[in-house]
Amino acid sequence: MQREDIKRQILTILEDSFEFENPGLNDNLRDEHGFDSIDAIELLGEIEKILGFSLTRAEKEKAMTIRTINDILDYIEVIASEHSR
Amino acid sequence: MERRVVITECSAITPIGYAKDDIIKSLKEGISGVKPLRDDGLLTDYIHSRVFGTVDYPIAYDFKRLYRKTMGPVAFYACQVAKDILARAGLSQEFISSGRLGVAFGSTHGSPSIQRHIYKTFFSNLKSEFSSIGAVDYLKSMVHTTAVNITRMFGITGRVIASSTACTTSSQSIGFGYEMVKYGMQDAMICGGADEYDTTAVAVFDNLLACSVAYNDKPECTPRPFDRKRDGLVVGEGAGAVLLEEYESAKKRGANILAEVIGFACNNNGGDLILPNIDGITTTLRLALEEAGIKADEVDFVSAHATATKMGDVIESQAIAAVYGDSPLITGLKSYMGHTMGACGAIELILTMYMMESGFIAPTLNLESVDERCGMINHTRKLTAVDTNIAAIQNFAFGGVNTCLLIKNGSAVS
Repeated sequence: MQREDIKRQILTILEDSFEFENPGLNDNLRDEHGFDSIDAIELLGEIEKILGFSLTRAEKEKAMTIRTINDILDYIEVIASEHSR
Repeated sequence: MERRVVITECSAITPIGYAKDDIIKSLKEGISGVKPLRDDGLLTDYIHSRVFGTVDYPIAYDFKRLYRKTMGPVAFYACQVAKDILARAGLSQEFISSGRLGVAFGSTHGSPSIQRHIYKTFFSNLKSEFSSIGAVDYLKSMVHTTAVNITRMFGITGRVIASSTACTTSSQSIGFGYEMVKYGMQDAMICGGADEYDTTAVAVFDNLLACSVAYNDKPECTPRPFDRKRDGLVVGEGAGAVLLEEYESAKKRGANILAEVIGFACNNNGGDLILPNIDGITTTLRLALEEAGIKADEVDFVSAHATATKMGDVIESQAIAAVYGDSPLITGLKSYMGHTMGACGAIELILTMYMMESGFIAPTLNLESVDERCGMINHTRKLTAVDTNIAAIQNFAFGGVNTCLLIKNGSAVS
């Protein structure tokens, strides 16, 4: 899975489901888009669909440090690469 | 410390309209909000009662996703009527978030449609690897979802009371809110209740043989409170909210006083959870008069609970006759829209205030031939132009809970 492809999917989700307006890759999700803990849990469900497998509890907890869209993309890349080993 | 408590704003979403003028028009022209039961793809085929008090007009919600994401349909109703009263009241955000404004709001059991969605996940998608209960499903469906979605949307930091006592949900909300302000715990309260379109409630009453089934092809002819040909209740949906304020501060800020809450009583039958109880109901009505410090003959109008069940209406008539005799006008407002469950107390109080303000009392719809067992009280049989000074709104719930609210016409409050 290419980063560009992941980015396209995540931006679509953030714009369509989370109603982000003009999301920037380094925007602070909470401060600039009102993204909260409820949204984080909902987004993890969407990320599981992109990845095609369920995240473990430990993997989900790692996601709680995410602050930007770039962080989301890094997170997905790392998890995907760990699972492909 | 005992303080006077007034109602300064109200809003209702009902099967007979949302705007005040639409509701008054329906009451004056005898227009029913009872419609055919909609197919829900689950229970409808098993239910004998095919009628429902339906909100079938569009409501232009304008809630940001930030707020929408924790709201089921019942919270949409609740937040909309709360938004209406706050917008009209013009209270400062400083006061709204001061901790001196609280919320007393409830529903029968949160959001049944969201609960249904959760159960579908349980039973249908177990094989799906990625499905889970959404993070927000609990927030949308929990029993205090209406109250706390209101606090969230407007930044309200005062007390939260989330009554959930079926048909007395919102009358309790208003009564408990009144007590909060009266005894100085809060300076103002947003009070009310809401319930969404829900076939589960219909199925429950249907199985108890308490739902109307004889007018499935003529929905507007049922329910028929106090009528010989009544055959049970009709479940409905809607919401009602009122703003209660301490009298002196409301007067000081120049608020329009719609009514004063002068008395509230709430008790329990202490026994059977379903059957109406003459002693319990009579006691409630008397306690409310006592609390208000008024005599029975000062009450001009009684909004009866009047669900149109066979025994409920008879027992209620007996209780009204025992307390009030045949003096006040009696109307069963559910005849226009069915039983809006957790919302009914608030909606019936708001409709009573609309009628008080407009100088009329609407008749009980579909009351063509009074059941002789209900004949000892003064039924409103036709649209009546009359000044109402004091009105009683009474509601009784499964679980044996009874409430009575007494209000005085705002034009007479000084």
